[in-house]
Amino acid sequence: MTMTSPAPAEVSTDAAISVRGLWKIFGEKAHEIIDSPDARLPRPELLEKTGCVAAVRDASFDVANGEVFVVMGLSGSGKSTLVRCLTRLIEPTAGEVFFDGEDILTASKARLRELRRTKFSMVFQHFGLLPHRRVIDNIAYSLEVNGVKKETRHARAMEVIELVGLDGYANHFPEQLSGGMQQRVGLARALAVNPEVMFLDEPFSALDPLIRRDMQNEVKRLHQDLNKTMVFITHDLSEAMKLGDRIAIMRDGDIVQMATPADLVMHPADDYVADFTNDIPKSHVLTVGYIARPAGDGEDISGQPIDADIIIRDAIPRIVNATGPVPVTRAGESIGVIGTDDILHLVAEDASEGSAT
Amino acid sequence: MRNHLRGRLAVLPVLAAASLVLAACGGDVNEAATETTEEAVAEETVAEEAPEEEAAEEAPEAEAAVVADCGDWGVAMHAWVGYTASAQVLSDVARDALGCNIEQIQLEEAGVTYDAMEAGSVDVIIEDWGGGRWQEWVDRGAVQEAGYNGNVGLIGMYVPQWMCDENPDISDGTKLNDYAELFVTPESGGKGAWYEGPPGYTTIGEKIINAYDLDFQVINTGSEAALIEMFTQAAENQEPGLGYFYEPQNFLAQVELCRVNFPENDWSDTADASGLTDYPETPLVKLATSELLDSGSPFATLVSNFEWTNGDQNSVAAAIEGGASPEEAAAEWISANTDTVNMWLEGTGASM
Amino acid sequence: MNALESLPTWMRKRSTLVLLVVGVWFVLGTILAGVHTLELSTATNTPATDWLREFAASIRGSRAESPIFVYFFNPLRGGIEGFIEIIRAVIAVPASGNVIPIIGWFGVVALVGYIVYASSNWRTSLLSMALLTACGMLGVWAYTMDTLAMTVGAVLLSLAIALPIGIWAGLSDRVMAFIRPILDLAQILPTLVYLAPLALVFLIGIAAATIATMIYSIPICVRITAHAIRSLKAGPIEAAESMGSTRGQMLRKVQLPMARRTIILGINQTTLAALSFVVIAALIGAPGLGKPVIEALTIRNVGDGVVAGLAVVFLAVMLDRATTAAVQHSAELPPEGPALIRRRIGLIAGGVLTLVAIYLSRFQLWAAVFPENLVIGEYIANAADAVTEWITSTFYFLTIGLNENFTIHVLNRVESLLANTPWYITIIAISLLAAIIGGRFVAILSAVLLGAIVLIGLWNDAMVTLTQVLIATGIVMLIGVVVGVLAGRSARIERALKPILDAGQTLPAFVYLVPVLALFGPSRFAAIVCGVFYATPVVVRVVADGVRGVPSDMVEAAVSSGSSTTQVVTKVQLPASKRSLLLGANQGMIFVLAVVVIGGFVGAGGLGYLVIVGQSKPELQGKGLAAGLAIVLLGVVMDRIAQAGARRNEKKPA
Repeated sequence: MTMTSPAPAEVSTDAAISVRGLWKIFGEKAHEIIDSPDARLPRPELLEKTGCVAAVRDASFDVANGEVFVVMGLSGSGKSTLVRCLTRLIEPTAGEVFFDGEDILTASKARLRELRRTKFSMVFQHFGLLPHRRVIDNIAYSLEVNGVKKETRHARAMEVIELVGLDGYANHFPEQLSGGMQQRVGLARALAVNPEVMFLDEPFSALDPLIRRDMQNEVKRLHQDLNKTMVFITHDLSEAMKLGDRIAIMRDGDIVQMATPADLVMHPADDYVADFTNDIPKSHVLTVGYIARPAGDGEDISGQPIDADIIIRDAIPRIVNATGPVPVTRAGESIGVIGTDDILHLVAEDASEGSAT
Repeated sequence: MRNHLRGRLAVLPVLAAASLVLAACGGDVNEAATETTEEAVAEETVAEEAPEEEAAEEAPEAEAAVVADCGDWGVAMHAWVGYTASAQVLSDVARDALGCNIEQIQLEEAGVTYDAMEAGSVDVIIEDWGGGRWQEWVDRGAVQEAGYNGNVGLIGMYVPQWMCDENPDISDGTKLNDYAELFVTPESGGKGAWYEGPPGYTTIGEKIINAYDLDFQVINTGSEAALIEMFTQAAENQEPGLGYFYEPQNFLAQVELCRVNFPENDWSDTADASGLTDYPETPLVKLATSELLDSGSPFATLVSNFEWTNGDQNSVAAAIEGGASPEEAAAEWISANTDTVNMWLEGTGASM
Repeated sequence: MNALESLPTWMRKRSTLVLLVVGVWFVLGTILAGVHTLELSTATNTPATDWLREFAASIRGSRAESPIFVYFFNPLRGGIEGFIEIIRAVIAVPASGNVIPIIGWFGVVALVGYIVYASSNWRTSLLSMALLTACGMLGVWAYTMDTLAMTVGAVLLSLAIALPIGIWAGLSDRVMAFIRPILDLAQILPTLVYLAPLALVFLIGIAAATIATMIYSIPICVRITAHAIRSLKAGPIEAAESMGSTRGQMLRKVQLPMARRTIILGINQTTLAALSFVVIAALIGAPGLGKPVIEALTIRNVGDGVVAGLAVVFLAVMLDRATTAAVQHSAELPPEGPALIRRRIGLIAGGVLTLVAIYLSRFQLWAAVFPENLVIGEYIANAADAVTEWITSTFYFLTIGLNENFTIHVLNRVESLLANTPWYITIIAISLLAAIIGGRFVAILSAVLLGAIVLIGLWNDAMVTLTQVLIATGIVMLIGVVVGVLAGRSARIERALKPILDAGQTLPAFVYLVPVLALFGPSRFAAIVCGVFYATPVVVRVVADGVRGVPSDMVEAAVSSGSSTTQVVTKVQLPASKRSLLLGANQGMIFVLAVVVIGGFVGAGGLGYLVIVGQSKPELQGKGLAAGLAIVLLGVVMDRIAQAGARRNEKKPA
């Protein structure tokens, strides 16, 4: 596993996961291609020339502790491959993945199993439940393969069942549950080992839109309560915006942009990203601080201030009902004001870019 | 699902254990069964021999007076009805008079059975036509000849009687070419159809055809059944048919066939046959394992003594063909021929 | 083949080329009829068969002394025989001096019923008990128990070997690649062909019969088990891996439980295969229902043969339903609440009843030996005899007429094309056809294998046999496709046909050999008819499956665009199920080949007859073994051509 990308950036000690120069090429000549200029060829040409597919190209990023890091892209962008490389469900062709300072790509099989049993867990798009086991045994599986006694692991499973709202379903079989319930089991299973990092591969793509919304809220809630580091894969940008602290957009194996939702919306890196973000109403993503402006003459800034980090959409009722512009503060300091006109400007911008509100 | 499985599985070992425990005890039903069969035998014997009261009294005595312990023996059963007749009579006498435990084992004749004898699963062949083809096994000490069984076998080529009636010299085999066209069928490729004997039987049809340059084609019918079928149709429908057949076979008593003769026989082993001469009159041979003949069991004596005529065999065979089971046919013959049977039993101390 | 591309399209079409080759072949064959046909009289040996004969004799000689026998084959034989004898002692064979085995008939019926209930449901249990009792009523209880014991024993031994291998092959690609050719060969091997070699090594008897059954059943089980593991849904397995399972944990906790249903299905197939073979194995000393069937054949006793055949069918249906129900049951959710309590009560009560029944069967005569007054076998035998008599006498002229006409106009013509043409011309013709249908590689393979048959010295007999196989396969395909399409299109027809198809597949070929013999006389035609009976059910099933598998929207589209039924069938359903058709042809051919040897019993001559006669006459044993080898070679040639043809068909654009 040699490093082939340009000089390594420092591995951040604050990060839960640090990825450097991760490559995954499918095909027999994968290893030859890595160091060659062919690696930079667009996918169709590469396939034609070598019969290989570059699924992930030179990915490097850090995931901070407690962060929800979203990887977003369309089908074929390489996002599912990327997340599987992080836990070595797919073996990467090159690169390094540091977890707590340890490069797990060089870990032994036994060490990898240990990590999987205790530090990582994964939630799958099609749930991946064991059909021949009851819910409680599905949830306790990771503990079971780790040798935890039955009483202990069942007790832990019951805890998690309560946590995700599956009370009363412990003895059901997966086929008796709806899609949403099954994914709750998936979540519960992932939480049962109290992992340091959770990987979620498009966990809600297979669910109905209404259930999807419930589950997204569920994940948000869990994240708030438990503060788990999450790597979340999705193809739905609004989902990414809703859940993500930072979003990485992938295209054809490359990470095209990595930024907070607000940054993404305000400063898309290229037309490709802009295409996505145009559909997102800015008022759902940007915070008040973004459009706060200096107070004009004659504006009354003595009213109850509003926090700069509140999302505009959530602040609308307050601002609309106020008699004048509302002062905006961040950490106690005043940074400006915001009024209904400012919001209307924003909405107009959104409308002109062709977004639905 | 696991709990369910466990519950289910738990019952089975208990059941199995219980069955095995039960296996250890009980055998009353054997007595019950023996009583029933004894009653049945006694009834039969009484009914059949009512006029001969001495015989009726002897029957229960015979049950009691088993001489030396007979043992367990295997009698080979072959596919032709004559054989079945002989073997059934032999086995039944052994069981009833000597108390032997006889297993009748259906097998292909010749090599297959000789192998079985060498392996020890079969001990007696009551009728072999083979002219020495068992030599290899004799050399290895597995098989011994146990004398002749009194039947004389004569194989030959036969045609339905009506053909001899119409063309008398058809019974001269050397002249068959004059009639070859009559026997042509779609199966025989333009030549006359020569229906040959079943696989294990002694056959020299091809040799005869080659020797006399006969315009015939051998058709391997594969079984006695097929030959009988062929002859039956030929006789019933006045059609031509030339086929392998043999005495003793009570079929010859049912359907009239006429033998096709070749020059007098001069061989006994098919390897020596030139094809110019006819099949031999073969005194049929009994074969037994050395194990049996050296054992001193009364069954060995019975086998060595067993001897009867073609007529005897035919009468039992006829009964079987007529629909009786082999056991019934044999029992009928045995009870009508106790003198002969007792002659076989001389030296064993038992009698019927 | 690039030269071909310069020819006009119509000349390049495969069907044209085939007709061309056959045409030239026919002309040459007529001109050169009878030349170099390599005809050999039955009694004559060739160098190759002589060598085999001596080889066989030397094996017979060394059975007592040679180390490989003393230390391997003989103990193996003893071990297997001992194992089966134990089972027989429990249900089938009385110990010396006893009237009944350890468990009498009543106990066996109860025990079987309980086992079926415990592994599925009470309805199937009742059916099983009824069918088993019916076997008793046919008067063949002891034989049935022998067959059951042999089947159970052979299946247990087969599973012990096949399940681990199948699991291993399911997990490892390399093992699978290694095993696949062996499995393929085992499928083509006609069953009767390896009976003789086995009898040579293991002597006639239970051991040889069991080993032969195992050779037949193990490949089936291995295939299905490997498939079971390989076709598991990827999701749960990926999940289990992501949770840190070791390979052992994955196998035990995830893969095997998930594959359980399919594996039990494999056990179902294995059991049925073993049962059908155990009947045939009576030829080398297997006890059981095969014996009266074969006896019936040789003594032309139709009635008894039919009775025994019926018992085989009952037994087969019972085992099939019981194991299939077990499959369904294993896939269901376990009962909860009141259902669970009912089930528990049922199991306990059933267990007690079974123990009582077993007890009774040991102490009460009526429960130990099947009561005479319930036996109706004799009436059935007589009825069967009467029916056959009637058919034979009434339809005799029709059947003989059919036989004659078919033989003269079809059979003899094809046979003279194959057997009466100089052998080199025939080989070239077949190789060219192979090239056209399947490509260069298959053509070379065919030429080589056919050349081997020439070297062995059995060319003429092989061609006689090949004729019958090809004709029978053609007829089978004709009937099979027509009936299969009907069954595929209509669920009602399929339901109606099901019992016939089931019976056809389980009824031993010997059973209908006797009436066929009576109807058609000893002839090659009779052998062809038997082949058709034996192989058609399989083809019907495969074709029906294929037609049913055609996506319904395809059919709907055709219908709504105004196609007639014939058009829908010939233009949509048949082409779309082409793969199934080819598979059906392949299967049909293999089944026909299996019957070829049996044809030797009814006058078909050829290789089949040589195999049979080789068993009885020591001086011809070499020829018998060689004939078996030739049958295998023919099978491989035909199978490879068919498969290569199928592959090519898939690659060609529509």
